[in-house]
Amino acid sequence: MTKFDLNDDNVVVIIGSGAGGGTLANELAQKGVKSVVLEAGKRFDLSDIENDEWAMFQKISWLDKRYSGGGWHGAVNHPTLPAWIVKGYGGSTIHWAGVALRFKDFEFKTRSTYGEIDGANVEDWPIDLAEMTPWYEKAELKMGVTGRTTGMPHLPWNNGFRVLAEGCRRTGRSDYRSGPMAINSVERDGRPACQQIGFCMQGCAIGAKWSTMYTELPRAEDTGNCEVRTDAMVLRIEHDDAGKVNAVVYADSEGNQHRQKARVVCVAGNSIESPRMLLNSASAMFPDGLANSSGQVGKNYMNHTTGGVYAVLPEKVHMHRGTSVAGIVGDEVYHDASRGFSGGYYLEFLSLGLPFMAAFLEPGNTGWGRSVAGALENYDRMSGVWVLGEDLAQERNAITLHGSETDQYGLPVPVVSKTPHNNDYEMTAHMYETSAQIYEAVGATDVYELPAYPATHNMGTNRMHADPAKGVVNAYGQTHDIDNLFVSDGSQFTSSAACNPTLTIVALAIRQAEYIAQEMNAQNI
Amino acid sequence: MTIRFHRRGKEKGGSAAMNRRMFLMTTTLAGVTTNAMLGSASFASSAVLDEAQGASLLRMIQDIYPHPDVLQVSHYEAIAATVMKNAEADAATASGLTDGLARIDAKAQELFGTPYTGIEDPDAREGLLRHFQDEGFFQGVRWTAYFGIYDNKEVWPLFGYEGSSVEHGGYIDRGFSDITFVPEGPTLEERMADVQA
Ligand SMILES: Cc1cc2nc3c(=O)[nH]c(=O)nc-3n(C[C@H](O)[C@H](O)[C@H](O)COP(=O)(O)OP(=O)(O)OC[C@H]3O[C@@H](n4cnc5c(N)ncnc54)[C@H](O)[C@@H]3O)c2cc1C
Ligand code: SF4
Repeated sequence: MTKFDLNDDNVVVIIGSGAGGGTLANELAQKGVKSVVLEAGKRFDLSDIENDEWAMFQKISWLDKRYSGGGWHGAVNHPTLPAWIVKGYGGSTIHWAGVALRFKDFEFKTRSTYGEIDGANVEDWPIDLAEMTPWYEKAELKMGVTGRTTGMPHLPWNNGFRVLAEGCRRTGRSDYRSGPMAINSVERDGRPACQQIGFCMQGCAIGAKWSTMYTELPRAEDTGNCEVRTDAMVLRIEHDDAGKVNAVVYADSEGNQHRQKARVVCVAGNSIESPRMLLNSASAMFPDGLANSSGQVGKNYMNHTTGGVYAVLPEKVHMHRGTSVAGIVGDEVYHDASRGFSGGYYLEFLSLGLPFMAAFLEPGNTGWGRSVAGALENYDRMSGVWVLGEDLAQERNAITLHGSETDQYGLPVPVVSKTPHNNDYEMTAHMYETSAQIYEAVGATDVYELPAYPATHNMGTNRMHADPAKGVVNAYGQTHDIDNLFVSDGSQFTSSAACNPTLTIVALAIRQAEYIAQEMNAQNI
Repeated sequence: MTIRFHRRGKEKGGSAAMNRRMFLMTTTLAGVTTNAMLGSASFASSAVLDEAQGASLLRMIQDIYPHPDVLQVSHYEAIAATVMKNAEADAATASGLTDGLARIDAKAQELFGTPYTGIEDPDAREGLLRHFQDEGFFQGVRWTAYFGIYDNKEVWPLFGYEGSSVEHGGYIDRGFSDITFVPEGPTLEERMADVQA
């Protein structure tokens, strides 16, 4: 395996090996650009994957100290787990379920579409769907997304989704499908077809689902142009007297510090760690943190407006058999102010195993007793959805550094604050009611509302904006303040859209790789 | 306060099912709590709890996740044994537990004039325990019960959960799409046509 010297100042240093960082590393490697990927977590491979919800949570989650703040229920019920993401080779693409949806055109233009919204900080992206379409296609080909781009059929429908789909049909809906998913429905790209194992979110043991763990990262390493260093937690990014970044300091598994020189630095640590790194890299020249002249680093934290709805059907469903997110309902993804909220939402069938169902049906200290136990006795007759809709950017929703407490690396602990906007309350009420009606159309007896889970979709904390005073990065993820410092993950999102973020993260990373290679060749960076 | 029903269906099977459950909860389990259980070796040998407290603990675990039609008393006894083992291994846990159980009994005396295990109405017992649900000892017992039931591979089949499938080649040939009360999904040809149109 290739190894680069710590003093090699010609390398691109990529921080994080998930959807953004892993993709960028492989794209650059294929173009002959040399990079070092620094990944805080361990190296994993397919043999680490188990069909066990808690075992995988314990094995791969980011469990370093972190606090929930703000007015969401999680500040009480998940006080140290605001988000559920992975720490390891492959990042959250080990956990992810594979839903690969594109933004709608209006979702890039939320400010123009919704107008100004009280209490929110809604803006337009500096790019639109027409600009992104070719990059979406590249991402779909790379990841192997079922649908027209690849020609791979969507997956067969499992029991849980068939129930949901029939409810949709009976309530006059038409946009319900078992895709697009970044899961092979046929053998493709050296990976097998989905065997309906279930446990997609615990990692796909056979590699049918796309993950940088067994696609982008090994391919990047195989070129000889990329070195992935695991157990390498970045502590800070350094810069020279001219204000260009030139090195990254990280700690290895023994806590020893190393300093890797760099020509370009790309931050892809997911939306909590990425702004945290920039804030932790404050210096005399950049007292508020790197790339933070706008004051927007860490602000506008978005996940999604979410909840779960589980219905008890008259007969057995066995929802756990097969693909975890087996189908998607898109009928509610449009903007219509008369619904009482801005933006739209998806309903995604989502099976939970008994352990997670029992933990999340009624999270927190109150989740026990006769009604919870009684509901769980209906487990094998349940079908359910994860509802997810647009979450508006708000300045108060932010990643901040704890004033006194530090983690095992000596870095201030991040505090992740999230308080729903009125828009969220209106939207969730609508989501719950729509889902209940769909399930009641197929005979549901009981319908349960589950509050938001710890965030798996994190966005917006280093957002893109054409105006350097309103955002952190430009349309290529390049920071407005420092030419050779990039943001390569979901933290660059200007709006959250209703859809799951990863396809867009990957598409942006492919596009960014082109730009970085071009700018390096032109000696601009 | 507890689980959020969006809409709650009418209790199926009417009062008969409910009555059976009430019967089991108020009689069978209560009976077991004070009779069969006390003979069980794991409890008798506890260094932390006396017999009455052992009975309270078992009753509490049953009240936290009552599944009289699904689980055996032995399932609950195994959980109680784990709680006691943890308490034996850690003095703070032990005193938290004995103190907590004592306060539950005191509250039961105050409200109902009987020890906790003497309260016959399961709703009343649950209501009593709700006073303590934010306390460490209670949540300790609660999570031990949670893992002993819902994360217990031996118990899963009783709830119709089949768990790991990779060793069986997935669910692809094991009923992932076998229900009959809703239509089948589209065929491969239809799904192909959908993406090629
Ligand atoms: C259970 C689950 C289900 C999901 N399902 C879907 C889905 O169906 N569809 C979808 O679109 N999205 C889904 N997601 C979200 C998706 O996984 C993320 O959007 C995506 O992986 C984010 O990519 P990223 O590059 O920003 O971060 P990640 O993929 O999280 O990668 C970040 C990496 O950076 C590393 N890192 C962080 N800080 C440092 C540091 N200081 N030094 C070194 N390394 C660091 C982390 O260890 C991690 O490996 C899901 C997520 C989860 C958890
Ligand atoms: S259902 Fe398919 S994608 Fe999901 S884990 Fe199983 S084989 Fe992998």
